[in-house]
Amino acid sequence: MTSKLKLAFVVQRYGVEIAGGAEYHCRLIAELLRDHADVEVFTTCALDYVEWKNHYPEGETVLNGVRVHRFRVERQREILRFARLSKALESPVHTGADEEAWMDEQGPYAPALRDHVAKLAAEGSYDSLIFFSYRYWSTCRLLTDSRTPAILAPTAEDDGLYRLSLFRTLFDSVTQYAFNSVEERQMLEASMGKALPGEIVGVGSDLPSSVHGEAFRKNFGIEGPFLLYVGRIDLNKGCPELFDHFLRYRAETGSQLNLVLIGRAVLDLPKDDSVKALGFLDDSDKWDALSECLALAIPSRLESLSMVTLEAFWAERPVVANAACAVLRGQCRRSGGGLYYSNYDEFREVLQVLEGDGSLRARMGRAGHRYFEEHYAWPVILEKYLRLIEAARRAKKAA
Amino acid sequence: MSIEIESKDVDVRKIMADIRERIAEKKRGLYTDEEIREIAERKLEAVLESRQFNPDFLKDFKTKSEVWNYTFNPETIYRTSRGGVGGLLGSIRNLLKPIQKLFWNPTPMIAALSRQSDLNQYTVQMLHNLTLELTRMNLEVQELRARLQQTDASLEELRKRERALESLAVLKDQPKATS
Repeated sequence: MTSKLKLAFVVQRYGVEIAGGAEYHCRLIAELLRDHADVEVFTTCALDYVEWKNHYPEGETVLNGVRVHRFRVERQREILRFARLSKALESPVHTGADEEAWMDEQGPYAPALRDHVAKLAAEGSYDSLIFFSYRYWSTCRLLTDSRTPAILAPTAEDDGLYRLSLFRTLFDSVTQYAFNSVEERQMLEASMGKALPGEIVGVGSDLPSSVHGEAFRKNFGIEGPFLLYVGRIDLNKGCPELFDHFLRYRAETGSQLNLVLIGRAVLDLPKDDSVKALGFLDDSDKWDALSECLALAIPSRLESLSMVTLEAFWAERPVVANAACAVLRGQCRRSGGGLYYSNYDEFREVLQVLEGDGSLRARMGRAGHRYFEEHYAWPVILEKYLRLIEAARRAKKAA
Repeated sequence: MSIEIESKDVDVRKIMADIRERIAEKKRGLYTDEEIREIAERKLEAVLESRQFNPDFLKDFKTKSEVWNYTFNPETIYRTSRGGVGGLLGSIRNLLKPIQKLFWNPTPMIAALSRQSDLNQYTVQMLHNLTLELTRMNLEVQELRARLQQTDASLEELRKRERALESLAVLKDQPKATS
């Protein structure tokens, strides 16, 4: 009889309040593996990702059947200092000291977490340490070469940050990688100048048992066809460009399409009847909206996976993605479930094609759904993670 | 090693290539000549009909120049429209031509009227071309106006962001209150 696996997850924040990003990704994987292994999570007390203010109580707690150990953040991030240090990195002649200073300001700075994880790694009592997001202090300072195999889900975006010299040591210490996409893998391999061990894994999603599109329309007063956006309504997510393109599209073509926005807005929204902002909604409303929309818009240029894109695939809805994001472009091509635009003219044509061709929409929907089931269904993700853990264990043994 | 397998169900690359081809086609002119002609004629129709022209005039204007213009050559003033008798009358006029020229010189009048007929034809052609050009320019102005609005909105967004960052900087620079 083989003993149960023992796994430790390390991530910068952890909690049910965090609805997206690498932290949500980490929680879904930890909860997926809890039935197959003894899973523990090591994280900070922070909830806020800007200054890393301590929010959760320090110590041990159990969340959805997973034991969580929280450590205090000892120094909050100074935004202006961080901005200055980030600026210094833009210089091609910046030094290693600049990079180290930037990382210490990046945070979350939690020395007790570092010491605790270093002790666990040295003891070798876990089958694997699984880290999420390469860019934070909690990965960069904690993932080191040790007796325990280290798996990293880098969640890297095409922003050039991964090219910093300080990450080379980190990347060399990883036993196996859990990449989010083909593009992420290619990007990191090109930067390191060698093949990296691991698999393209990604993440599944909490799928609904049923959807109620009509109820969604009734509850929120939505009529007619609509383009859907889900996520933080932010400049960095490409929302202003989406608004411009959409309003111009309506004005020029006379289309009756509406734009429905789900998520917290951190910028001014256009004052137009065709743009309907519903604010932050729970998951069931999001799935209802996905089941009713004509297509999902993803205007962001920087994505390492985009879980909502995968959710739209599952819901059999085509995606209209920003072509500047290689990952989204690749996902559209591989799945057959999305089209992309790099300027207004393409945005307009893509929407006209989708609005005018119901059979193409249906074909794209089916293709996206099949792609999701083949690559991102939970049994597939579970199998990949178990394979990665085994490969990491064997690699460490051989070394 | 990374392997990329693309969907066999929907050829996204092909759809995108078709889309880009259509855009390139449209970009060859802001609109095709045929589209501009169609728009210009629609505008002309609206103007003429609103002033209650004869409904047939517009059709004739575009198809039969002889309805609104006249044809003129040196023989025109000696012709008649009286059938067989008219033929006899025309012959008598031709015989009396030298005598008639003793009283007045019809040549400058014939030349002027011929020239005027040609000028009418040119003017109409020019008006037609001007309408096309004006329509084309109107469309370009609309396009530029839309781009200007877009640029204004982006600029306003950047200004707001700048103001927000400035206010943050001011807050950060303020000395902390000591108790």
